[in-house]
This record gives sequence, structure tokens and C-alpha cells, in this order.
Amino acid sequence: MSVDIRNVSKSFRSTLAVDDASLALEEGSFVSIVGPSGCGKSTLLRLVAGLIRPSSGTIDVRGVPVKGPLRNIGMVFQSPVLLPWRRTLDNILFVAEMGGLKTSQWRERALELMQLAGLGGFEASYPHELSGGMQQRASICRAMLLKPPLILMDEPFGALDVITRERMGYALQTLWDESRSTVLFVTHSITEAVLLSDTVVVMTPRPGRIRDIVPIDLPRPRHPGTLREPRFLELSERVREGIEAQWME
Amino acid sequence: MSESMSKRLAAIAKPLACFAVLVLIWQYGAPLAGIPSYVLPLPTEIAQRFIETFSVQMQGLAMTAFTTLAGLGLALVVGVLLALLIIYVPLLGSMITPLLAAFNSIPKIAIAPLFVIWFGLGYESKVLLAFLLALFPIFVNSVTGLGEIEADLIDLSTLAGGNRWRIFVKVRLMNAVPYIADAVKVAFPLALVGSIVGEFIGGNSGIGHIILSGQFNLDTPLVFATLLSITLFTTLGIGAVSLFENAFLTWRPSQRRR
Repeated sequence: MSVDIRNVSKSFRSTLAVDDASLALEEGSFVSIVGPSGCGKSTLLRLVAGLIRPSSGTIDVRGVPVKGPLRNIGMVFQSPVLLPWRRTLDNILFVAEMGGLKTSQWRERALELMQLAGLGGFEASYPHELSGGMQQRASICRAMLLKPPLILMDEPFGALDVITRERMGYALQTLWDESRSTVLFVTHSITEAVLLSDTVVVMTPRPGRIRDIVPIDLPRPRHPGTLREPRFLELSERVREGIEAQWME
Repeated sequence: MSESMSKRLAAIAKPLACFAVLVLIWQYGAPLAGIPSYVLPLPTEIAQRFIETFSVQMQGLAMTAFTTLAGLGLALVVGVLLALLIIYVPLLGSMITPLLAAFNSIPKIAIAPLFVIWFGLGYESKVLLAFLLALFPIFVNSVTGLGEIEADLIDLSTLAGGNRWRIFVKVRLMNAVPYIADAVKVAFPLALVGSIVGEFIGGNSGIGHIILSGQFNLDTPLVFATLLSITLFTTLGIGAVSLFENAFLTWRPSQRRR
């Protein structure tokens, strides 16, 4: 198991943000956490990254217990958080510099990733010269540059329009296919979760609980046609049921 | 290319033309209005006096420039270091910041005589006065520039393996550069005020001293000629900051050309 979350709870003062979550991520798999706002998705992500400590329970990444911030993982947020004073290529190489690595050895890979992400020709552009979708693709390239064993994505497409969002999904699939890092992907779009993932984890709020874990057995690579397959609709329905179940209680 | 060149020329030519018109009105209007030369000398008189006293002016300017830039440089070092202290040691920050704010509310000019008592009539008291006036804007902007970083960016840098030092150099410091450049634009004229006030209060060198001697001798053209020297100096100083911005800060929203 690449990531093993066992009976993890996290409370902020008196609020239980995550309640007894257990989840195992296989090496190289793409796992989505889907649920409404406030269900503890992001908290779970930050717990795995080691940015916050669980109130109880344990998290192992590649067999090693997480005791502080992990030092070699990729991270993508809802906003691209690019450095405005760096050109796009240098923004992607930023993580190599943070890791204390020679950027010259990662240049080639950065250029390849940019090509794959459809950012070829924009190496020397500043972030403000790119569209929102392009900025987010650059931030995904940055997360993938060092081939980290684990990439965490916190609603990476949340700020984009629906059409751009769907295209970004396929771009992400292409990039992930190349790196095969383990990805933990937080979203509140059921379609996005089912389309991209090997496993979809359904969470419900107050307290943040894992409600269902749905293995997605759709063939890869997924494409726009996938959205119309009966199996896709079936799986989406099961995810939806997990979320709606709480409303009926 | 040629279009941007002509645009730039126009940007320079417009204010110059306006200035030329004002000077012409002054030159030919003042005698008509019967304003005597010791009140408002003619532009030609000022120019003549400027040329006559050029070497004295430049000597004075050299001294004033030295105390101004030394004070500004000192303020840059101390201001950034203080800001760092406040950001990395929050306890110290909560102790120092209110004191600094209270201290800043004292008009620095009022402390100037004290500096003369402590440090004499030499350049030290002028440097210190320039430093004091320049310190606060640099300190305040440094705190903002070094401190206002998205939490996500710090997290991302940490998770990529960044340690405090790398994050400081490649994120915080870089983020602070435009803020500090802005602060210098404000602090530079302030430091100059500090130097000149210092020269007014005591000593026998610098631009301030030349202006005072012009006043004593009712040599109004000399006072104006010296103001011209100061303007040259400030224009050079602000120009240097703008050059720096054009060269290194092209990514700033205010520098983006549409």
C-alpha cells in the first residue's frame, strides 16, 4: 500500500472534521474523494500531507508513519499559486529548486510535461499572460515534475468553467498516465471523480465521514465517450446514492 | 518598435512643452507684474547663477547625496532586518511594533537638535536623520512584502522539500522586492529631507548649507539655483529606481503594458 489511513479522526476545537476515516491507496492509483463542502475532504488531504496532525489514528505513506510535512510530494490547489515573477518554465522548475536539486537536470522533463499539457510555446510567458486553465495546467506540471510518489490535489479545477474543466480532466489523465504517481484528488464533482479515478471515496459532512468506497472498473484511457457508457452512469449513480443517503437521515 | 519609440518621445515631450510654456510665462510675466528679483528671480538669472556656482553646487550635492544615500542604505538594511525579526519571531514583533509606531509619531525633525548634541555637526547627525526618516516606510513595506505570502505557496514549497532558507530566498525575499522598490521611492525624498534639515541645523557643507547662505545674503537666485540642483539629484534617484523596475519587475501588474 502506498498510503494507509487507519482510523483517523481530526477535530478542530469541538468540531469533528474527520471522523474515524480508514482508507488504503494502492501504489500508482488515482483515488478521488468526493463530497459536499465541509465534509472534511481537504482536511483529510492535509492530514496525509502531514501539514496537520490527526487527533487520533495513524497514516503511513510507503510504510513510514507521517510525523510532519512530507518532503517529496506534489501538491495542486484550487488556485494555481504560481510565482508571478517567474516565467512558466521556471515556475515548473521551482519545486526542483525547493528540493535542492539541479534545475538543469529537470529542464528536459519540464519541457516534455509542458508539451503534454498543451503549454508548448509558453515556456517564457509569465503567469499573468496565461489563461486560468493554462495556469492550472502549469501548476499540475509543477506537481508532477519530480515524479513524486504521491500527488495531492485539492479541488484543482474548482475555479474553472465547466467546459475548460472537462478538458482539464483529460489533460490531467494524459499527464498522470506518464508519471503514474499515486494521486489523491479532492473534488465535489461526481462526474469528474468517476471519470478520472480508480477508486472514488464518498464523504459526507458533520461529522466528516467516509460513506462509501467505489472501485471504478472503467477501461483506460477514458475519453468523452466514457461519459455515455452505461457502466459510467451506473457508477455515478452509486456515488450519488452515497451522498444523498445522508440527506434522508 | 518605432511606434513605441514615438510614444515614449511623446511621453517626454508633453511635460517638457508644458514646462517650457510655464518658464516663458515666468520670464516675461514677472517683470510685467513688477515682481522684484530678490523675491522671484527670472529663469535666466537662476540659470546664470547655477552656472556661476556650478562647482560649489556639485560639491554640496556630493555631500548631501552621500548622507542621503548612506541614511537610505542604512534604513534598507535595518528596515528589512527588523521586518524579518518580526516575521520570524512573532513574540518580538508584538513587543516592537507598537513601540516603533509610537516612535514614528514623533516628528523626526524635532529630534534633529538632539542628534547635533549627540553626534556633532559632522556628517553623522545628517546620516542618522536621513536614516530615521527613511526607516519607517521601508520597514512597513518589508513586513508586508516578506509576510504576505499565500499559505498554500508555503505549504507547496515545504512539501517539495523546501527548507526555511530556500523559502526565504526564493519566495519571501522575491515577493518583497517590488514592495521595497515602492518604499524606496517614498523613502528617498524623505532621506533627502533628513539630510537637508540636518544641514540647516548645523555644519558648513551640503546643499542645505548653500541654501542657508543664499538666504543670509538675500541671494534668491542662488536659493533657486540650488533647488535646481536638488531636483536634478532626486530625478536621478527616482530614475534609477524606475530603471530597476523596468529591468527586473516587468511582471508587476503596474508595469504590464497593454
